[in-house]
Amino acid sequence: MSDLLPVSTPKQTWALLRAELLRQRKLSTVALLVMLAASGAGLIAPWMIGVLVDDVTAGAGAGRIVGIVAVLVGAALVAGVLVGIGTTLVARVGETVLARIRERVLDRALHLPSSALEKVGIGDLLARAGDDVSAVTRAITQTVPDLVQAVFTIALTGAGLFALDWRLGLAGLVAAPMYVIALRWYLPRSGPYYAKERIAIGERTQALASSLRGKATVRAHRLEDAHIDRLTDRSASAMNLSMDVFRLFTRFASRNNRAEFVGLTAVLVVGFLLVRGDMATVGAVTAAALYFHRLFNPVGFLIMEFDEIQSAGASMARLAGVASLDPPADPDNPREPAAASLEVHGITHHYDGPAVLHDVSLRLEPGERVALVGASGAGKTTLAGIAAGVLEPVSGVVKLGGFDLADIGEARVRRHIALLSQEVHVFDGTLLDDVRLARDDASDDEVLAALDVVGATGWVNALPDGPATQVGEGAHELTAAQAQQLALARLVLADPMVAVLDEATAEAGSAGARVLEDAADAATSGRTTLVVAHRLTQAERADRVLVLDKGVVVESGSHDELLAAGGRYADLWWSWTGIRGVRN
Amino acid sequence: MRRGLLAGAVRRHWGRLLVGVLLLATHQAAEAAVPVAIGLVIDRAVATGDWGALAWSVAGLAVLFTVLAFAYRLGSRQAVLAFEREMHHLRVQVAKRVLDPRGERTGMRSGELLSIASSDAERAALVIRGVAMGIAALTALAVSSVALLTIDVPLGLGVLVGVPLLVLVTTRVAPLLTRHSAAQQEAAARTTALATDLVSGLRTLRGIGAQHTAASRYRASSEGALRASLRAATTTGLYQGVTAAASGLFLAAVAGFAGWFALSGRLTVGELVTVMGLAQFIAEPLRTLGFCGQLLATSRASAARLTTVLDAEPLVEHGTRSVDSAEVSLTLQGVSYRTLRSVDMAVAPHEMVGLVAYDQRDADALLAVLAGQVPEHEGAVLVNGIPSADLDIDERRRVVLVEQHDIALFEGSLRENISGGARTSDDEVSAAVAAAAAEDVVDVHPAGLDHTVTDRGSSLSGGQRQRIGLARALLAAPPVLVLHDPTTAVDAVTEELIAERLTAKRTGQSTLVVTSSPALLGKADRVIVLDAGQVSSVGTHAELVDTDETYRKAVLR
Repeated sequence: MSDLLPVSTPKQTWALLRAELLRQRKLSTVALLVMLAASGAGLIAPWMIGVLVDDVTAGAGAGRIVGIVAVLVGAALVAGVLVGIGTTLVARVGETVLARIRERVLDRALHLPSSALEKVGIGDLLARAGDDVSAVTRAITQTVPDLVQAVFTIALTGAGLFALDWRLGLAGLVAAPMYVIALRWYLPRSGPYYAKERIAIGERTQALASSLRGKATVRAHRLEDAHIDRLTDRSASAMNLSMDVFRLFTRFASRNNRAEFVGLTAVLVVGFLLVRGDMATVGAVTAAALYFHRLFNPVGFLIMEFDEIQSAGASMARLAGVASLDPPADPDNPREPAAASLEVHGITHHYDGPAVLHDVSLRLEPGERVALVGASGAGKTTLAGIAAGVLEPVSGVVKLGGFDLADIGEARVRRHIALLSQEVHVFDGTLLDDVRLARDDASDDEVLAALDVVGATGWVNALPDGPATQVGEGAHELTAAQAQQLALARLVLADPMVAVLDEATAEAGSAGARVLEDAADAATSGRTTLVVAHRLTQAERADRVLVLDKGVVVESGSHDELLAAGGRYADLWWSWTGIRGVRN
Repeated sequence: MRRGLLAGAVRRHWGRLLVGVLLLATHQAAEAAVPVAIGLVIDRAVATGDWGALAWSVAGLAVLFTVLAFAYRLGSRQAVLAFEREMHHLRVQVAKRVLDPRGERTGMRSGELLSIASSDAERAALVIRGVAMGIAALTALAVSSVALLTIDVPLGLGVLVGVPLLVLVTTRVAPLLTRHSAAQQEAAARTTALATDLVSGLRTLRGIGAQHTAASRYRASSEGALRASLRAATTTGLYQGVTAAASGLFLAAVAGFAGWFALSGRLTVGELVTVMGLAQFIAEPLRTLGFCGQLLATSRASAARLTTVLDAEPLVEHGTRSVDSAEVSLTLQGVSYRTLRSVDMAVAPHEMVGLVAYDQRDADALLAVLAGQVPEHEGAVLVNGIPSADLDIDERRRVVLVEQHDIALFEGSLRENISGGARTSDDEVSAAVAAAAAEDVVDVHPAGLDHTVTDRGSSLSGGQRQRIGLARALLAAPPVLVLHDPTTAVDAVTEELIAERLTAKRTGQSTLVVTSSPALLGKADRVIVLDAGQVSSVGTHAELVDTDETYRKAVLR
């Protein structure tokens, strides 16, 4: 199920970033120029110290110091102003690009075509919208301004070395290939280790989470020793991998120290020769050595942050992959269904294994209510998904108001056919806003009316802040039955022609289930409705009942007809209602 | 107590830590010596043109960088190894304490415990890094100070006072910065939370065609976060600018005095270069010290949370007695707990008893008492007449098994989950699977029983999880089995199958099923009804349906 969503190549990722940067061409250009100037201002101090050294060597008077200090003070003030403006502008550009990209990613994620979503699953999308966005945010907020500064400082300090004396510049350049070699030694080795370490840490967290969340079960089944053994193993292997990675890193750090040594020594030796040959002053050599020493920090920063930058790059590629998905498109000549009839014809479907549905056909007249009954694995949920147009059948067609769903287009289909699945999600925020997701422009009164239709007014008003109560994870937790009623209220507000219900009502217990069944009846009244009957009372309330067994329709008729026929459904009914138990 | 935990952490690794600290301090001293060496080389070799001095200089630099590199490589490995080991140790300790069969009285939710075992264990172990880095930074400061004071006492004193002042001033501005960046981080976290919330509920959104509304909600939140970020960017820029200007001005002042002394012959050129280099370098270890202060504060806060868990009192007492009979009865005498008021009831050996609670809270309270995780209840829970608290804790859990309604499955194969790690034959496992009517769960996966359950069984549907949990309880075959609503997530047909097979499988053992399912209640030998915290009636399902109107309403559908 993992990584079925596209991941962009580096080239595509750059293209996306470039396009976003071009949208604020002026600001980006100014930001870069200011940063460049700021780095340049930073070069003045070592250069002036070189001048000072020459003055001292030449035995100039103590009065010379005044001019030098004046230049240093000026340089400090200018550098301060430029650094301030430059980092602000770079952050502004970065943050704006980030916001645009994350908005586009979420837009594409939310509009992922149903067929793709069913293949990909929620997990990968969640990782991208959550973890990857966080990783890129962290990088852009914390690393990018420093990164830009470091790169410019390195470039300008290098240029400064050459400006002092081209021979000193060449001497300093000796270090460059050594840094590159060190990186090329380290990166291919560390990459796989980091990947393994991340996996090991993920496994450790997962083991911890599953043991701690299930601690009551662990205790009840006397599994604590086995679980602690597994946790210890996981934690130890994550620890060992972290140590391996760190050991590798320290060897890399040594290689960088070697590059520093070679570069610094080269500058000093070449400087020695130049001074001896009267081709450079002691001051110039001093400035050069100080320039080179000044490179240690930004180069170190780049190298230390390289992993962070690389992993943010990987996250960025995963975001770009989602952002580059096509926005949902309508069919060329979209049909607008007028009638609320729903027809499923000749449906056969299988997932990876044997067929789940064999040639199932069914027609719901406008306003008709049909219930699906069958054992687990009979294909009820699959049929409901196909009828609602969120699952593409392997063969067969689904028609709404006489038009093939494909010709209507997914966006329109979703407006006309609502599907309440077994997955119940309460969205974070106020209860009103939660229901309002179904129709953004609905007034408070309309939302309250929808809640009233499903009989939720009583408990909603009893909440701590009434309908304005914060619900969802970490806020006021609704019971399973309340969450179901909320889902039904959303359906009322969305007001589709067709409703497909596949809810798990039984969790609410008998009394709760009855309340939910009434709510579902009220919410779907007047709509063409297909109900997956988890409880047989849902079937009793339907106009027609379809009994599925292993993907085949085995019985069909009204509740009373099927009871009178005395077949499978009748058997089931008597047993399930408990009345057979009484008679025996 | 928290000092105890941190001191213990340092004590556990003191040997390794000592070696690490000595080496890291050496590394810092070497780093501080680099600008000193540059000054020396300029002074002795470059300025004089002496070949011998140049040779010495190169050799000296080689030694210095070798020491610097090896001291870091070996020292940081020791320190990080100590840190990693401590983190591992703390994590395992927390897990052991939380999973202890006697329970713990922290009252924390599992999410909180998880964050203590993962994040707080890591943060508490940071004490090791803080100590190592802090001592190393102090060493660097000491070396730099000695070098400065040796060159020139007034100048040295000026730098040694000036740099801390500078660092202090710039860190004073920092809270301003933190406020804005905290607001920014909060807004960013809210936006991310909204994204994960919306994507988690994507199927729900799609079901009602609400993706578009959701996307525009996210856009609004993202815009808000962007505004906060831009505000923070301005403050950060201001801070960076002020810091850059302040350190530039300070260096100008040092250069002014040192240059003046050099021009007037009080300092050599080399000494001038050294002073300038050190004045720049010294800010590093000072910042490191500030950072170590933060590390220690973080570490202390986390250590306090860890201590709460590690020192938590056990929840239940236990004795040493055992039940020496295969025929086991379970009796409750005058049990009051939460909503329960003096409940008397019994499950006789071989009996299958159904229990209907009109109020869900009564059922929850009863199950909590039976699971043996609440010490504070009144009355007695007797197993074959022995108070359950007098039983050995393993014995108690062997004899009475309460399978939770919310089925927790663990990573591993279906087989491992069902057998609970015990050695069992495939036939026994298959029999339990059949009794739980879960054959389809096994058959649908090509690997059958070897199918891997991931992530707490989220790859299985609610009904599948429920039946795998039931199979696990049936395979454990405890003398007394307590089940709580075992069939709520399965459809009518499957429920009927389970009712029949469960009854057959438990023949000869005692079973209590808390449920309102008529299919299950119809198979029970006896049904006990709890109303308003008390036993209100007892009889067979058929009798109760015939005679009790409230019962009929509660269980018939």
